[in-house]
Amino acid sequence: MSETQIRIFVGDTRVIVPTPTGRRDLLLGKLGFWAQIAFLLAYIGVLSTAMFYFQFALGELPCPLCILQRMGMMLSSLGPLYIVIHSLRGTLAPADFMTGLGFAIVGALLGAAMSIRQILLHIMPGDPGYGTAVLGLHLYTWALVSFVVVLAFAGVLLMFGTEFLAVGPTSPVARYIAWAVVWIFIATIVANLIAVFFLEGFNWFLPDNPTSYELIGWTPTPAAN
Amino acid sequence: MDTLLFGALLAAALFIIFARKRWIAATGFVVCFVAIALLFAHHVTSTLELSF
Repeated sequence: MSETQIRIFVGDTRVIVPTPTGRRDLLLGKLGFWAQIAFLLAYIGVLSTAMFYFQFALGELPCPLCILQRMGMMLSSLGPLYIVIHSLRGTLAPADFMTGLGFAIVGALLGAAMSIRQILLHIMPGDPGYGTAVLGLHLYTWALVSFVVVLAFAGVLLMFGTEFLAVGPTSPVARYIAWAVVWIFIATIVANLIAVFFLEGFNWFLPDNPTSYELIGWTPTPAAN
Repeated sequence: MDTLLFGALLAAALFIIFARKRWIAATGFVVCFVAIALLFAHHVTSTLELSF
């Protein structure tokens, strides 16, 4: 057995875990960890911007496909969440790393299918699209870009095998920051849950073009762009 | 339905944080994936008049 490997048992299965004893391994492991944190932060930012700015500040109510794409982003983010949690506990085996990246890929594929559907709904010449465009692209197009970035991110990490197997930080401050990101992600899901409950009320499904918060019967006035 | 699915996503995320076994996390993920895919299928109500 190499000096840079340890063996652990997961149930009855023996797995070999490379331990980052070398300076280079440790550096790549930490880079891998903070890359997963960056993934979470990026989607927290995207989801918060969609909800707090476009939905609340501009008064643009999200359509059912927009809500589904938010779910796709959260589903995809469960992957880095899984990797980060195991890294912080020091229990991240290569199989867990692969599971996390698999979550990210499968979630991104579903999200991309939704984005493509919405892009195709508005692809005909003269169609104004749904909602405000940002830098010339509508939010569902940006969502597709984000899902493709996730696929590329996971693909590149998988190309390197376990080189970027995430290693959790030992510094208390860094660990505090990482746990804060984890709980902010949870808060983002809760905020979306509450917002969509106000939007949908006690109906089973959202209308194709929502105009009011069904729970309280309030119709927001869209801000002038 | 959307509210319930966000609840399911929340539960799956909390499973990942508090449950240590991989199959619990994977089960939460798969349940959410299937439920979201079914809701997506419900909202795909027409074929697009496009030719590829």
